[in-house]
Amino acid sequence: MAMVREIVRNRYLYALALPGLLFLVVFAYVPMAGHLIAFKKYRLADGLWGSKWAGFDNFKFFFMSSDWYKVTLNTILLNGLFIVCGLCIALALAIFLNEVHSRLYQKIAQSFIFLPYFISWLVVSMMVFAFLNTTDGIVNRMLQSNGLEARNWYLMPGIWPAVLTVIYVWKFAGYYSIIFLAAITGISGEYYESARIDGATRFQQIIHITIPLIRNVLIVLGLLGVGRIFYGDFGMIYGIVGDTAPLYPTTDVIDTYSYRALRQLGDFSKSSAVVLYQSVMGLVTIVLFNAVARKIDKDSSLF
Amino acid sequence: MRLRKGMTALAAASLLLVAAAGCGSNGNNDSGNASPSGSAPASGASPSGSAGSSAEAPAQKLDPVTLKIVIPGDRPPDMDAVIKEAEDRMKDTINVKLDVVFVPFSDLAQKTQVMLASGEDVDLIFDAPWLHMNQMVSAGYYEPLEDLIAKYGQDAVKVRSQEMFDANTFQGKVYAMPMANSHLAGRTYLVRKDLREKYGLPPIQTYDDLIKFAYKVKENDKDVIPLLAYGQGAQTDVTWGSFRAFMEYDPQFLESDALGQSLVLYYKNNDGKVYNLFDEMEPKIWSWIEDARKLYTDGLIDPDVLAIKDVDSVINSGKVAVAVHNEYGVPSALQSALAQNVPGAELEPVTFVKMEPGANISNFKQANFLAIPKVSKNKERAMMFLNWTAQKDNYDLLAYGIEGKDYEKIGDDKYKPIGTGYPAFGYAWVWNPTMERINADYDDDTVAHYKFTQDAANLTPSILTGFSFDPTPVTNEITLYNTVADKYYNSIFDGVVDPDATWAKFKKEAEGNVKKIQIELQRQIDEFLASKK
Repeated sequence: MAMVREIVRNRYLYALALPGLLFLVVFAYVPMAGHLIAFKKYRLADGLWGSKWAGFDNFKFFFMSSDWYKVTLNTILLNGLFIVCGLCIALALAIFLNEVHSRLYQKIAQSFIFLPYFISWLVVSMMVFAFLNTTDGIVNRMLQSNGLEARNWYLMPGIWPAVLTVIYVWKFAGYYSIIFLAAITGISGEYYESARIDGATRFQQIIHITIPLIRNVLIVLGLLGVGRIFYGDFGMIYGIVGDTAPLYPTTDVIDTYSYRALRQLGDFSKSSAVVLYQSVMGLVTIVLFNAVARKIDKDSSLF
Repeated sequence: MRLRKGMTALAAASLLLVAAAGCGSNGNNDSGNASPSGSAPASGASPSGSAGSSAEAPAQKLDPVTLKIVIPGDRPPDMDAVIKEAEDRMKDTINVKLDVVFVPFSDLAQKTQVMLASGEDVDLIFDAPWLHMNQMVSAGYYEPLEDLIAKYGQDAVKVRSQEMFDANTFQGKVYAMPMANSHLAGRTYLVRKDLREKYGLPPIQTYDDLIKFAYKVKENDKDVIPLLAYGQGAQTDVTWGSFRAFMEYDPQFLESDALGQSLVLYYKNNDGKVYNLFDEMEPKIWSWIEDARKLYTDGLIDPDVLAIKDVDSVINSGKVAVAVHNEYGVPSALQSALAQNVPGAELEPVTFVKMEPGANISNFKQANFLAIPKVSKNKERAMMFLNWTAQKDNYDLLAYGIEGKDYEKIGDDKYKPIGTGYPAFGYAWVWNPTMERINADYDDDTVAHYKFTQDAANLTPSILTGFSFDPTPVTNEITLYNTVADKYYNSIFDGVVDPDATWAKFKKEAEGNVKKIQIELQRQIDEFLASKK
C-alpha cells in the first residue's frame, strides 16, 4: 500500500516520467523475454512457444571455436581504447573551447569538430581506404615522396587498433565535447572569480575548478560506455575493416565474428545466444565498475 | 501488499504475452490449407496440367486486385510509367494492379525475413538459396506451386525448361518460380582492350595469353594494376585461384552443396562422391593456388585485393587491366563509366568456358526465385501475373521498360538500352531463358555464349540435379567452418599469404568439422541417389 500512496502523492511527477518509463518497458524490458530464444531451436513458423528447447546447444558454435576468447579480448581492448581516448580528448576539447574568448571562433571550431559525427561509416570506410591503400594511398604517396618505402597497411594487423581509435576519436570527440561543454557552462562564474582574486592562473583554474566539477559527467559517460563494452560498434568495425581477413587478429570483435559465422544460416537462436553472452558480461562489468566508482566517489556512481 | 504482488504478476504475464505474440504471430497460418481459396473465378484455365495446354487469359472480367511484389534493388526512375502501362494492358484480362516494393540488397535478408515472420500481406516475394530460401521453406512460409502452375501458369512453365523446375525443388516440391536467363552462370575475365592493342598483342585465347598480357601491363604501365579478383567475405568463388575452376574441364570441378562457394568440399567426374581437399589435395587446385601466389608476389594481383570492397569502382577508375566477372559480356554501365573516366579505354570480355554440347556439367540450380507466401490472399492472381509476364510483349515491358524510351528492340532476341531510366533488373521478377533479349552492345562471342547456355540440351545434367542439402544436422559444424574459412580461404586463393604454411593452419583448424559435414552430405547424397533408382 505504501507504494500506491507514494504514487498518488506524487502523481504529477510520475506522469511526467511515464513516457520515458513506457519507452523503457517497450524497448528494454519486453525484448528481454526474447533471450528465451537462445535456449530454443527457434523456427519462425513455430513461434516462441512452439519451438523445441535446445539447452545450451546454441552456445556451442561460439564457445567451441578456438577464437571466442580472442574476439572477446579484442572487443574489450578496442572499446576500452575508444572509451578512454574518446572521453579524454573530448574533455580536453571542451576545456579548450571553453577557454576561447572569441564567440564566433568558438562556434565555428565547435561546428567543425562536430561535423564528422554526421558522416556515415560507409563514407568513412572509403576515406580510410583512400588514405591507406597500397597503390596510391595518400599515406604511401607521402612516404614515397620522402624517400621511404610504401607499405601494405591492409596486411598489418598491429596498427589497426590505433587506426580505429583515431577514427573513433575523430568521429565522436566533438559529440561528447558538447556534453562536457554543457556541464562546464553550468559551473557558476563565482568560483572562477574568487579563484582569480586569489591569484589562480588559467591553468590552475582548469585543474582545480573545472575538472573536479565535471567529474560526475565524466564518470557517468564512462560507466555508460563500460556497460556496452562487450558490444563492438558493428557499423564501424564492419564498415571499415569489412571482410579483410589479415586484419582479424586485432580487429575482429564479437559482433563481426558472429555475423560472419551466421550470415549464411540466418539462425535466430544462435545469434540470440551471442547477444545473451554479451548482455551478461556487460551486466557483470557495469556492476563491477559501478562499485569501483562508488568507492572513489559516492555521488557519481550510477546506482 | 497483495495488490502490488498481483499487479506485478499481471504485468509480468502481459510482458510475456506481448513477447510471445511478437515472436510467433504467424504460428497458426501454416496448416495444410493449400487449396486455392476461390476468391477469383478460374475461367479459361485448364485443369489438366499437361505442358501442352496453354493457360489463356480468362475471358470474363475479374475484380481488380492489387498485388504486392517485394523484390531487391533500387526503384528505377521510370518504374511508375512501366507499371501504368502494365496495368493498362492487364485491365481487361487478369485486372491486376501492381504495388512493387524495392528492398535494397543490404537489407534484403532481414527485411524479407521480418515481412514473412510478421505475416505482412505480400503476394510475391523474392528469395533465393543464397538468401534464406531453405529456411523459409522449411519454416512453412511459402505456398507449394504445383496446383497453381497447373491451373494458371502453363505459359510460365513453357518459357522455362522442365529441367529448371525439376532441379529447383525444395524438399521435393516447387516452392518458387525460378528466374533465370540461362542454365549455367556466365564467367568472364574483363580485359582492357585498349591496352592489349597498345602492346600489339593478338586477342587473348588462353589463360597463358592472359598472364602474358598481365606481365606486359606490369612492364609498361606503372599506374595500372594488372590483375584484380575479389577478396572479401563469402564470395569465395571469385578469388583469382578459385575462379579458374569454372574454366577447367579435366576434370570439371563443382562446388559442393554444403559449404557455399568453397572448394574445400567438391564434386568431380559427375560420380556422386563428395571429395575433401583436406583428405587429399587435388593437384590441379593446388596449382591454381601456387599460380595465384606467384602472381601476387610478382606484383600482378592488386596488393589490396583482400581489402577492396567495391571492385566495380576500381575497374571504373581505369586502374585495372584484368578483372574477374560473374556474367558473360561487359556490362554497359561499366563500359560507359570507364570510357568517361579514361578516354579511349575499353573493356573486352574473355572467357574460356567451352561451347561444346555436353562439355559443361550443370545441376540447373538457379540463383533467383519468386515465391508466393502462404498469407497471400491473391495466390491465383499472383500466378496469373507470373503467367502474364511470360508473354513476349509483357516480358519486354517489365524487363526493359517502355519501348523507344528505355530501350530499342533489335530483332527478336536483342535490345539496346537507352539512358538510365530503367536499368534492366529482370532477374528479380521476370527472367526466363526463352524471352530474355541480349544486349546488342555485346560482341559475337558473348552472344554465342548466352545463346549456348539458354538451351538446356547443351549441358550435361549432373546426377545430383534436384538434390538439395539439409544443413540442420551439422549447423554447428558449418558455422565453425565458416569462421575459420573466413580467416584463410580468400587469402590463400588470392595468393596473399604463403600457401604451405597457411593451408596447414587452415587444415588444422577446419579439418574435423569439414569431415563431419562431408560425411553428412555424402549420406544425404547416397539417400538421394538410392531414391532416384
